Amino acid sequence: MKIVTKSFLRYLPRRLSLSVLQIVGVACGVAAVVGMTLSARTALKSFSNTIEFLRGKSTHSIQRPVGPMEEEILSKLAQDPAVQWVSPVVDRQLRLQNGESVHLLGIDPFLDRSVRPEIYRVEFLERERENLENLLSFLTDERAVFVDIHLKKEPGEYSSSILKTEKGPLHIKGRIPNPSGEPLVLMDIGHAQKLFQLQGYIDRVDLILNDETDFISRWEKGFVIQSSRQRRETFSGMLQAFRLNLEALSLLALFVGVFLIYNTAMFAVVSRRRDTGILRSLGANRLEIILAFLSEILILGLFGGALGALLGFFLTRFLTDLLGSSISNLYFFLRPEPAAWSYSIIAVGIGLGWGASLLGGVLPLGELSRTDPVKALSGRITTSESSRKAKKAALGGMIILFISLILFLLPGAHVYVGFAGVFGFILGVSLLMGWVLLILHPYLRRIMGRIGGLPGKIAAGNIRQNLGRTGVAMAAFMVSLSMSIGLSGMIGSFRESLIWWMGTQIRGDLYIGKIDEAEVPEDFFEELKKIEGIGGVHPYRNVQTLYQNTSINVSAVDARILQKYARFGWLKGGDENWEGVKQGGVIISESFSRRFGVKAGDTITLEGIRGPETFRVVAIFYDYTTEHGLVMMDRTTYVKTFGDLRLNNVGIFIDPGNPRRAELLLEVKKRAETRGLPVLSGSELHRNILEVFDNTFAITRSMRAIAIIVAFFGIAGALLTLFIERSREFGIYRSLGFSTGQVARMTLTEGLEMGLISFLLSIGVGTVLAILLIKVINLRSFNWTIFYFPAWQPYLITGITAILASLGAAIYPIWRVFRTYPQIQIREE
Amino acid sequence: MDQPVIRIIDLWKTYELDGSGVSALRGTNLEIKKGERVALLGKSGSGKTTLFNLIAGLDRPTKGRIEVEGQDLKTLGEKGRTLLRRTKIGFIFQFFNLLPTLTAFENVFLSLELANKPKPQLALHALKEVGLEGKERRFPSELSGGEQQRVAIARALVKKPSIILADEPTGNLDTATGNQILELLTRMCEESGTTLIMATHSPLTCRYATRILRMVDGVIFEETS
Repeated sequence: MKIVTKSFLRYLPRRLSLSVLQIVGVACGVAAVVGMTLSARTALKSFSNTIEFLRGKSTHSIQRPVGPMEEEILSKLAQDPAVQWVSPVVDRQLRLQNGESVHLLGIDPFLDRSVRPEIYRVEFLERERENLENLLSFLTDERAVFVDIHLKKEPGEYSSSILKTEKGPLHIKGRIPNPSGEPLVLMDIGHAQKLFQLQGYIDRVDLILNDETDFISRWEKGFVIQSSRQRRETFSGMLQAFRLNLEALSLLALFVGVFLIYNTAMFAVVSRRRDTGILRSLGANRLEIILAFLSEILILGLFGGALGALLGFFLTRFLTDLLGSSISNLYFFLRPEPAAWSYSIIAVGIGLGWGASLLGGVLPLGELSRTDPVKALSGRITTSESSRKAKKAALGGMIILFISLILFLLPGAHVYVGFAGVFGFILGVSLLMGWVLLILHPYLRRIMGRIGGLPGKIAAGNIRQNLGRTGVAMAAFMVSLSMSIGLSGMIGSFRESLIWWMGTQIRGDLYIGKIDEAEVPEDFFEELKKIEGIGGVHPYRNVQTLYQNTSINVSAVDARILQKYARFGWLKGGDENWEGVKQGGVIISESFSRRFGVKAGDTITLEGIRGPETFRVVAIFYDYTTEHGLVMMDRTTYVKTFGDLRLNNVGIFIDPGNPRRAELLLEVKKRAETRGLPVLSGSELHRNILEVFDNTFAITRSMRAIAIIVAFFGIAGALLTLFIERSREFGIYRSLGFSTGQVARMTLTEGLEMGLISFLLSIGVGTVLAILLIKVINLRSFNWTIFYFPAWQPYLITGITAILASLGAAIYPIWRVFRTYPQIQIREE
Repeated sequence: MDQPVIRIIDLWKTYELDGSGVSALRGTNLEIKKGERVALLGKSGSGKTTLFNLIAGLDRPTKGRIEVEGQDLKTLGEKGRTLLRRTKIGFIFQFFNLLPTLTAFENVFLSLELANKPKPQLALHALKEVGLEGKERRFPSELSGGEQQRVAIARALVKKPSIILADEPTGNLDTATGNQILELLTRMCEESGTTLIMATHSPLTCRYATRILRMVDGVIFEETS
């Protein structure tokens, strides 16, 4: 190794505490990205495995646009010349008694064997093997199932070959292999039809086609035919916005990490400035110095990246679970297994560490290469120079802010453009930090002088004097705190908007059945209607279908009841909009309107049971049930269009002044319980929705915590560098009679001041960030409006975090003061 | 008559300070011959260090011409000036300016490496010459001021440069140590035929010089007595 490089690298062990801080900072940033990306990828992989596994060898699937299809179609399909093989399927979610959901596939084992041969490698339970009759029990016992070998065996759940479900016990006959992440239960299709009261109906038919065009030409009308690729794309598309938001969040953590690297790299530049001058005077050229510094940065990136990869890998254990439950809550059931260990994770971590180090090191590197050896040999950079640089950076920041503003104002721009704008905004305000400090300095000096006396005044001066480092550390901290305020503001506003929305749409006294499971028998609905005194028995049906080849939801409602009892949030107009719905029109959610560019008064065409049907859009309403778009129509229109009479859920509305209210509610509850149907009161349903919401944002909260940890190291690093760099000044303080306590107080004041200023600035920046996340990112990602609800709690929590973090960050430097200050002498070097 | 090893013609150096120009050098002229030992006397701020920086090509003059061994520094370019420092000029500073992360041996070897003569025995020999045998593996912080300056001398001379620029070489040492250092430095330069220019504000240094120059407000005068 060249001696020039060696002279730089030896600083790493010499300033071990700083090196460790930088490594930890890089590691935290890398861990966030690796953990999040790996978890998201694992979840998506698990999801595509599920799709692939369940698809088997089928090339296409055919189903009704919504709801189940008639069984007799099967024989016609089997006779079609373009069809090579058919396999009818009942595809449902089944809730276990412990509340968990499993995927139940009802199949015809004789037909399905050619489509999904892997499933039929059944491992029969010990006692089932005893005689042939038992082996055939899968076909003869109408509650017989094969369960996934990964299905968790919980005490009492199926210890005696019984799977306890909300639809009664099922008899486990054997176990099937399942490489997908989704727990699977297999049942004979006839038994499944009976279990779900689907006699005469199936959900879809999986097909092996030999001529797609020919087949589609005959079956297009009244059916949805999807190739396996289209099916996979439809499902993947549903997760796109979710994945993008996760990745952007983790990048924010790395972004803060880059600040930390910049900060430490800048310190390294300052502390190597004299060495650079010496080396240049000895004849070292710029390239040799750049290479030496680059090796130093890359070594830190290497260790930080590798450590971050390990931390990220362990983080996936926790994040994958969170992600799985979020996806299950929002989209479809998924239980992804955490990623398996691979050395490539380390390679990716190192790559990220290097990337972040180079990004954070590029400006300091430029500064080092431009070091004037004459000035370097004569001493430190002057304050006027750092002021000039701060002003220059501020100018750059303003230009970036202006570009970001243009990105925000671009009409119809993609969410990526929105993210670029948000990153630009954060970078822009960060670059303003030094300049803001210059402006605030005289006031801060006065305030700190009043609070902390002479040490307070000196502390304020130190922050100003060492703007190059303090400014960057504070910018990093400010970004983290702003993220905290911004994300909390966004989540809080979303939560409040959701509460408002629930108050407009979910106003029933009782809800019977669960929205995601079609399980309220029609005769029960009719039975409830006969109870006298109930204001409204509301039938609700929600199904997925395709609009312009994209997955959307269609809901069937009773317009008369909702007009009377619900108070929908309309983008335009009021409850008179229901009149149009009663006459066969539809109302669409805001997300549908934005996603497909459909406005009130336009028409939309949906594939119905008799072919395409056109509907007039009466109005647009605010909705948070799905970002993919929701079309709501009256039940009569729905049944006429899709021929689907099934119900997901029944809402009970009782007039507020009804004296029999309690009695009626009790009666309905009793009847539902007799039928084994779940009943929730309106407020219980609200609580459940909020619980799902809070679980969904658990990941966002964890990312926010990581960003604050990274920034914490940033402040600690800045304080430590100030201490190390100013040991000569400390010698002067000591000679003037400053006590160890006073110098420690000075360090503490510096830390507190940095934390407080960062927090004060983050109030404004965080609020703007919250508004940007709401008005730009959420709107472009999910196509729905979140109303901004200002709240004081995020500011209080962030303020406390800022104070605690800056106090915590000052502890180590203060310890160093107590340990070394009494020995510090006035030295020139 | 020998060709001058350094020739300076009408040299000006003006710095911008708070919007106005301050001249550190004001039309200086100078010729120094090979093997001369020159003491450049002058008060703090008289322009001695500026002159050294310009001769070494670390800084650029506002006006005027500098020739080192007949080569105009201006025409050399950045690459040429770097090469000049690597091979022909040795620097000795008041505050030693050793690299704190390198041992005594490595500090000297660095000079050889940069001059493309990476022979460890030369570095060891140079340290022995300055009386630091056995202290090669010590870091600067483990050496006294005098010892650090010896390492700096070894570092400057090991590559056998034609010129040594010593900026206040004893300014940070006590008188006895300072004298030892000056004796060592002048002896080694004499033995190797190296031109030595010592910037100093101490008249005591003049005892070790063959020629004395005085610098006053950026102009050099020949000291005749």
